[in-house]
Amino acid sequence: MRGTANPRLMLMILSAVFAFLYIPISVLFALSFNEGGLPTAWTGFSVKWYGALFRNGDIMGAALNTLIVAVVSTIMATILGTLLAVGVEIRRRKGRFLETIIFAPMIIPDIVLAIALLSFFSLLNVTMGLHTVIVSHVVFNLAFVCSVVRARLKTFDWSIVEASTDLGAPMPVTLWRVVLPVMMPAVIAGALLAFTLSLDEFIIAFFTAGAGRDSITLPMQIFAMIRFGVTPEINALAAIVMTVSVVILAISQRLNRGGLPGQ
Amino acid sequence: MTDRKPLYLMTPALAWLTAFMVVPCLLILALGFFRRGIYGGIEYTFTLENIALVFDPLYAGIFLKSAMIAGLSALIAVVIGYAAAYAIAAAPQRRQATLLFFAVLPFWSNYLVRTYAWIVMLNREGLIAGIAHGLGWGGELPKMLYTESAVVIGLVYNYLPFVILACYAPLSRLNPEIAEASRDLGASGWTTFRRVILPATVPGIATGFVFVFVLSIGNFVTPALLGGGQFQMIGNLIYAQFLTANDWPFGAALSIFLIAIMMGLLTLQTFATERASGARREE
Amino acid sequence: MTQPLLTIRGVEKRFGAVQAIDGIDLDIQENEFFALLGASGSGKTTLLRMLAGFELPDGGQIILDGKDVSRVPPNHRPVNLMFQSYALFPHMSVAQNIAYGLEMEKLPKAQIKSRVDEILEVIQLAHLAARKPDQLSGGQRQRVALARALVKRPRLLLLDEPLGALDKKLRGEMQLELKRIQHEFGITFIIVTHDQEEALVMADRVAILQDGKLLQCGTPHEIYEQPQSRFAADFIGVMNFIPVREEGGKLRAADGSIIAAAASLEPGQAGVAAVRPERLRIGGAAGENSLIGTVTATAYHGLDLQVHLKSPASPDPVLMRLTADAAEARPLKAGDSVTIHWTARDTRAFPV
Repeated sequence: MRGTANPRLMLMILSAVFAFLYIPISVLFALSFNEGGLPTAWTGFSVKWYGALFRNGDIMGAALNTLIVAVVSTIMATILGTLLAVGVEIRRRKGRFLETIIFAPMIIPDIVLAIALLSFFSLLNVTMGLHTVIVSHVVFNLAFVCSVVRARLKTFDWSIVEASTDLGAPMPVTLWRVVLPVMMPAVIAGALLAFTLSLDEFIIAFFTAGAGRDSITLPMQIFAMIRFGVTPEINALAAIVMTVSVVILAISQRLNRGGLPGQ
Repeated sequence: MTDRKPLYLMTPALAWLTAFMVVPCLLILALGFFRRGIYGGIEYTFTLENIALVFDPLYAGIFLKSAMIAGLSALIAVVIGYAAAYAIAAAPQRRQATLLFFAVLPFWSNYLVRTYAWIVMLNREGLIAGIAHGLGWGGELPKMLYTESAVVIGLVYNYLPFVILACYAPLSRLNPEIAEASRDLGASGWTTFRRVILPATVPGIATGFVFVFVLSIGNFVTPALLGGGQFQMIGNLIYAQFLTANDWPFGAALSIFLIAIMMGLLTLQTFATERASGARREE
Repeated sequence: MTQPLLTIRGVEKRFGAVQAIDGIDLDIQENEFFALLGASGSGKTTLLRMLAGFELPDGGQIILDGKDVSRVPPNHRPVNLMFQSYALFPHMSVAQNIAYGLEMEKLPKAQIKSRVDEILEVIQLAHLAARKPDQLSGGQRQRVALARALVKRPRLLLLDEPLGALDKKLRGEMQLELKRIQHEFGITFIIVTHDQEEALVMADRVAILQDGKLLQCGTPHEIYEQPQSRFAADFIGVMNFIPVREEGGKLRAADGSIIAAAASLEPGQAGVAAVRPERLRIGGAAGENSLIGTVTATAYHGLDLQVHLKSPASPDPVLMRLTADAAEARPLKAGDSVTIHWTARDTRAFPV
């Protein structure tokens, strides 16, 4: 590869692409501290838009809802997804059907899953609210946790499972004392990934949250605000939302790359 | 490994996926073949009307436009993304992981926020307009926000990291000595790229293209925010059937159509991947 | 003889179309150091895993202490396995790894601690008790794996290629170490290996496996000196094979020389006469068990000198190992013509 690439051209490409990716985001960050709030003129540094944000009851309520959804769905998805990953990888033979089902939540377009769940809940006469959002988020979150954990299980030394059995441990004890601790970094990485996905997820929440104002999540609130028009408050909110996901993701990435003791 | 299969590990998750994914999706599949009730409900009689309506000339225009915008976005994203992935793969080994991390990082921030950033950029009082005026542009600027171009820019921007990731994978697996061998055998840099590197990385390109296309054609957020509701993608159409027009069977039929497009493209992509890797000896 | 500790009776195992174990019978006595020797694919590891309980036999019985254990799950057998990869738990310290099996027996904490400390002394790793496996050398990991299995005081300790991952020098030391520990603990060891030297050096008895069948079982001396088949003769050590045919109670080689063997072939049967290189002597008159050859190459090995001979009696070169003394008494170089002889007692014959 290296011998065939013109270094100056490569540098130009990278600079252009990174500029394209990061200028719009950076502008948002800068604007969130602009006293005047408008993109056309810098009128001075201020954190007043952040202050306004924290006094806005709608936004705070939506933020709390999002946190509830993300925390609960992440916990459930982490348990279900980790068990699933171990169960799938421990088997010697793998079914194509099983693979499809596990992979599907990650590739079905959000809009399709969203309307499918909406139809499902309304036909069963389920009152929709935060609980239906949680249930729906667990669907794709568990698939992501499962895939992160499975990736790590591919390099897992299964002989330690046999060793544990040989030393007298029944399977549940082996899973708890040997498999889970060794897999922990991947499980946490998967959980963090699920958490950010859930924090940011808009479409499925939008369709499954029902009509009530008290089940609005933060992305739904942002969507409503953006449609209404550009307000300086959104800049501050956008900056916070983006920082939170990026920080969590960076931690997840670090954990998953850190490698295991003994490997 | 033990002979016993710990089904109890998989059962909870599989039950969850069955109840809240498989069954709802089958429900959509069924809904597509039911009649719409007079007052917006569902009449449980079999009909092919909804499926026929999908192919009605009334909607053909929308589909064509959706497909064009999605195709254009996917094409641009693949060109830029491949170039970026190539540049990353050509960078010194120790920098590649960092470059890749920062290329993919925006992908993990909020989709709405990333789209909103382009409203700020393209707005009549936005950054680009501001810079143009600052540079002394006196006249009227062409309209940027609420155009098809704005939608394409938004889609490319949002899905570019994914394409970079998809193209980087086969590029990084490529043995550098293959390119050197080609040069050694007398091929020029361009010929080496065209005859050796490009064919080996077709799977990544195909994956990138298919996903951008499918995600774009089913999108309703970007057209709504950057297109200003001027035109509709299939995603917007589905959205409307469920939330405003209240014609669920037709919405379901549109979803089936969307999934069919996706599965068709994925099959093509698998085919392309197998051809590229020569892994056709499975039978 | 007393009741054997372990009786393997007619055990069979099939993986799809492959007959991995094809009816094996074996008795193993209390306190024995027993080796299962075979090439890869011979079924030795499958047999070991059946003894541990990780594979269920398709037929036959595995009787331990008079009880059929062939269907007992691995965690309920008084049998422990030392894994080829060692399979140490990466997140636990050396002491925690060793204590794990005892915790599964729900022993009191104090007792676990004293038994762990005791075995750490035996393997001389007490100073590394708090280390994690990835902070240990290969040899140290091997000892921890041994201690972890041994501390449970199993009736039977299985070792899967225990020295496979060690370098040559360390392997020599560990062979003696394993024997010492086996003696000290008085536990029956069954070791799986593909290394015939390892099997001969360590084991009280060796079983040779080929294609899932038991080929021969005996002491290292019996295995080496009285191989029962051509495969066993070839597999263990180095052997010269001379093609022969039975003629009137004697064996005749291609050039007409007559070979007498400890056991002959059927009348008129074609076969090979087998004799070990170290049994060949220089000199002697022409006659039975004697041949004339030309030295084609010599190789100095320190302890001995290996001489390659070209002889009309054999299509393959004949290999001779001379002790340093014998080599000095009669210096040889390429091109020399020599007469060699050997005794009928040292000669085997196998049909082809």
